[in-house]
Amino acid sequence: MTHSLHRHGTLDNLQEDYVVFAIAAQTVNAKGKAPVFGEFYKIVNKYSPVLSGDMKTGNSLAVGLEAIAAGHQDNSIVHAVYTDKNVVAQVLNELREADLGLSIVVSGLLDHVDTCCNKAGIQRHTIEHSLGIHGNTKRLPKDQVLEISTMCGHGMVAFNLINHMADEIKAGRKTPGQAADELAAQCHCGIVNPVRAAALLKLMAQ
Amino acid sequence: MIIDKETCIGCQLCQPYCPMGCISYRESEEKCAIDLDECVECGICQRPKVCPTGALQQQELDEMRNLRRTFSNPLVPHKTTSVPGRGTEEMKTNDVTGRFKRGHAGVAVELGRPGTGTRFCDVEKVAMAVAPIGVVFEPQNPVTALMVDTATGKMQDGIRDEKVLSAIVEFDVVIEKLEAALTAIKNVAPQLDTVFSLDLASRMSADNTVPTADIARKVGFVPSYNGKTNVGLGRPLAKGV
Repeated sequence: MTHSLHRHGTLDNLQEDYVVFAIAAQTVNAKGKAPVFGEFYKIVNKYSPVLSGDMKTGNSLAVGLEAIAAGHQDNSIVHAVYTDKNVVAQVLNELREADLGLSIVVSGLLDHVDTCCNKAGIQRHTIEHSLGIHGNTKRLPKDQVLEISTMCGHGMVAFNLINHMADEIKAGRKTPGQAADELAAQCHCGIVNPVRAAALLKLMAQ
Repeated sequence: MIIDKETCIGCQLCQPYCPMGCISYRESEEKCAIDLDECVECGICQRPKVCPTGALQQQELDEMRNLRRTFSNPLVPHKTTSVPGRGTEEMKTNDVTGRFKRGHAGVAVELGRPGTGTRFCDVEKVAMAVAPIGVVFEPQNPVTALMVDTATGKMQDGIRDEKVLSAIVEFDVVIEKLEAALTAIKNVAPQLDTVFSLDLASRMSADNTVPTADIARKVGFVPSYNGKTNVGLGRPLAKGV
């Protein structure tokens, strides 16, 4: 599962888009980790993520923080989305100090994440590159739609829904923020960045 | 998923939520309907509860419809992985599992992503293109479980026309064979009806460099400036990787 990997975007707008998440290895250290995910969730929420969620429960827009905190399981994957790399460095520093034993993964600009790791006194372990989208690419929509859609790696934010929300903004029935929140709520894991989505929707509606 | 004709009022509110675009409005009936050949049983149309009359209904699923569901609904964990979603833990837990060791690369070809869906005939084309290179298909991946022969990448009979939201061909390859594997993927790409997103995972070198990116560039793939970083805080740390 590569749900946070292929976030399509420009160097410019990806500078405000980072996902920090925790996972346990099912065959090694997952047993009894549910409360540890709770500790992780407390730490990431101290730094005001723009969205958060647990794969087992849902995202903060759809089900709320309390339901997520009450629903962690040993095979949870718990996420938080940030718009500022300096905040990511602070989160990583606190996670290093907390020594939870969970695997921690950060999605975002690789050079920036490396800098965050340096600041937090962490040596990167493994990297995953996106090598792009290939095959019958004639079937893809325009870039702005892709940039929003690919923020949910499970494909739960439909191309048509993004176009529909842009039309709603154009018609004055929704603000970009409202439309972005409705799209982000679709992403069960909670890894869509509603701030970035709102900016992209605003451009689409112009 | 089906739309109950008795209760559907033809409001079309559900239409934009379908990631496969397979909900249509039939003017003659003034009702919406789902093209079941295109529907991947992801359940995404039903989740936001936009239908005012509850006309979207999950029908009883036979074996093939269930296959679609398990590859399309990210809330359903695969039996082979215990991981919800379509893939595995891949590099996310590499600090603990040591799945990808130095001298090796992890490659994942996620067919149907983004937003187009895939049929297993395309999945098989990719699997059969890379198998002769001598890759090791990830045993915990649900696509591998559908292969009748991991030496050839051939998939089970009867599933090739089934459509899913996405499916991931995932394998480990020694770095010496990475160029050949990526070249095989590049060569099979024009034969596909769908799109795929391509991943390349590797253990960092001791000097904090990535040993595989230049190999990808040599084949003509451009590694994106963004990606995923496992920061190595998992415990116990895997030994010998």
